[in-house]
Amino acid sequence: MNVILKTEKLRVEYRSREFRQTSKVALQGLDLEVGAGEVFGFLGPNGAGKTTTMNVLLGFVPPTSGTASLFGIDVRQPIARQRIGYLPELTYYYKFLTADELLHFYAKIFGIARAEADKRIAELLKLVELEHAAKRPIKSYSKGMQQRVGLAQALINNPDLLVLDEPTSGLDPLGRMKVREIIQRLKDEGKTVFFSSHELGEVETICDRVAIVHQGELKAVGTVAEISAGHENLEKAFLKIVGFQNSPLP
Amino acid sequence: MNKIFAVAGVVIKELYRRKDFYVLFVLTALLTVGAGAVNFFNDEKIIRYVKDICLLLIWVSSLVIAIVTAARQIPAEREARTIFPLLAKPVSRGQIITGKFLGCWLATGIGLLVFYFFFAVIASSREHTWPLMTYVQAAWMQWCLLAVVIAMVLLGSIYFAAPSSTSTISFVVVGGIMLLGGHLKVLALQQAEPVQSLLIFIYYFMPHLEWYYLSDFVVYNMGAVPWLKIAAATLYAATWTGIFLLVAWFGFRRKNLTT
Amino acid sequence: MKLSPLLALIALLTLAFSLSVTIAPDASGWSSGKKAGNFLGLMFGDGRKLMASQFFTMADVYFHSGYYPSVFDKNSSEQKEIISASHGRKESEEDEKNEDFLGKPKDWIDAFGRNFKITRHTHLESGNEREILPWLRLAADLDPQKIETYTVGAFFLKDHLHRPDQAEAFLREGLRNNPDNAEILFELGRMYHETTHETDRARNVWELGIKKFLELSPDDQKENRLVFEETAVNLARLEDDAGNYDRAIYWFRQGQTVSLDPGSLDVQIDKIQKKISAKQP
Repeated sequence: MNVILKTEKLRVEYRSREFRQTSKVALQGLDLEVGAGEVFGFLGPNGAGKTTTMNVLLGFVPPTSGTASLFGIDVRQPIARQRIGYLPELTYYYKFLTADELLHFYAKIFGIARAEADKRIAELLKLVELEHAAKRPIKSYSKGMQQRVGLAQALINNPDLLVLDEPTSGLDPLGRMKVREIIQRLKDEGKTVFFSSHELGEVETICDRVAIVHQGELKAVGTVAEISAGHENLEKAFLKIVGFQNSPLP
Repeated sequence: MNKIFAVAGVVIKELYRRKDFYVLFVLTALLTVGAGAVNFFNDEKIIRYVKDICLLLIWVSSLVIAIVTAARQIPAEREARTIFPLLAKPVSRGQIITGKFLGCWLATGIGLLVFYFFFAVIASSREHTWPLMTYVQAAWMQWCLLAVVIAMVLLGSIYFAAPSSTSTISFVVVGGIMLLGGHLKVLALQQAEPVQSLLIFIYYFMPHLEWYYLSDFVVYNMGAVPWLKIAAATLYAATWTGIFLLVAWFGFRRKNLTT
Repeated sequence: MKLSPLLALIALLTLAFSLSVTIAPDASGWSSGKKAGNFLGLMFGDGRKLMASQFFTMADVYFHSGYYPSVFDKNSSEQKEIISASHGRKESEEDEKNEDFLGKPKDWIDAFGRNFKITRHTHLESGNEREILPWLRLAADLDPQKIETYTVGAFFLKDHLHRPDQAEAFLREGLRNNPDNAEILFELGRMYHETTHETDRARNVWELGIKKFLELSPDDQKENRLVFEETAVNLARLEDDAGNYDRAIYWFRQGQTVSLDPGSLDVQIDKIQKKISAKQP
């Protein structure tokens, strides 16, 4: 397997600023590998360490110890992110820019030449169905439109690895279908997709492999079939792995 | 460098799409024209007080724009969380800091050009002269001061969470240096130890921003300052700008932005 | 019963108008003491005197084209309003030019910083003195009781800018705000005598000034001693020029009563007495 995303004994500890409060360990020695061309689901309950892992991979948070690399390059080097695209869960884009300006800005960051950027942006705007609104400021967009802008900026550099943070969260069924189609298309093109999600039904459908983290530790990793073995479905397996037993409803 | 200019471009776009600059320019223009319209002893040739008022307004406006814009760069990006899609791109935190600085500095420079052009029109309407070198020097030195101020404010914004705190502290510091900077040693010698030593230390190790106020040369038609002195002052400003940006980078590069 | 908002507004406006009409005649008597009845005075309140003083200093700064000591500079405690001391007195101008409030540079920072400061001592001339007028105008508006504003302003208007009519108007404005002020009357008389050569008007104004001076309390007379001496001496010279030697001697003797150097006036009296002797057959 050609590993393009790797963490080795990755540990992240947040020191508390409160007096006499101990530090909080968000990740405890996480070992993870994602191969080229995989669609990899990263699962876990809230507070498990999924977001922290993504924050480390994307350079938002420095690791306390251990290593993380993308395409063999340490994540602390900006060049490690040259071939990745990132779609955050919530839309965080400059509201005063138009979609066109925002995409051109990110294209410049990737070092894409102007002519090529113009062509690529036109294609992306068509893909996410925003051609008609490209010259309007993002602050005038609806939530759905802002999420589509997010998808466009994540694909601006034709990434080999796409990192998605709960990509279908807050989307209507049509939107979720659109995202699934794009993920499938990327997979067909040989791209790698690494995403976190709570929608286990979707994960079951599209992922090649999944990992389940809980309380900062990797609890299980493998194909959907391997993890679901002995259980009705992935959801039941997930609940068992994270230690949630059947309990009466309140 | 392209990445730095790309970040700078976004800063400039943001500044000119906000209303701050236009409001301050219109205010400056109105107050200047108003001051010039007042009749003193039926003498239409009186101009220096108009120049003085106009230059003072330009100074205040440019400092307000520079400080307020720089103070909100990093904190606003963190609060709006726009910093995350940016950091997820192949751009380093040093490039972001440099780009933010460059954007603020270029934006205030464009603003200064507009302000000084307006000033030149007002002054020449009565004086019928264009002491271009003096105007250029005054604008250039003011722009150099703004570089130091912007770098200092960016540094402050890394450590103070709220843009309002950074702005307030910056205004106080800049105002204090402009008014007292050249006289701090005289004040220090009047104090007892250890205050005296502390003030003398500050005097030698603070940026002397009061050097950059050349309005008197413009108002009183004193002619140009030797270019060698301007070059030395420029180098001094560049040094302090570099120091502040370097310290800002040290503080920013390993900062956990998710908390 | 529901009251319509529009009716309520009309009722309130009517009430406000009625109250203002009723109270207005009494309201003007509520404020005690003199105050500037203009916009600036209203805006600044009692701080206007401080502002007026600051604006007067600005006139001085402008006169010296920015070369002016700050509170931190050498001799700042001896800082006088140079603009008022300099008019018409050559000695004080020379002294002033010899003053170097900056002194030697304290260190390299001070030395380098002086490249960006005004360090040349100059005075405005050739009509550029007009630039100080706005500050004097503002100072007068804010503090109409500051006499020096009028006397300095009139000096520059008549002697440097050759506008005696405006100088007279400014002095008369000062007189309206400070009725019978001896110093303003002296300057007005000086203008009539030296600039417009209206001897009779000068005499009348100066004699009025003397009369008003004598009506002052002993303490006020002591404070304005110099004005009395100058008025008396100038009256003496006026009468001397007019050939009224007895009156000239009379005024010189009046000046001697307050002069710190009565001997110098004795010399003047002797000269006049010689003229009287020479005229007698």
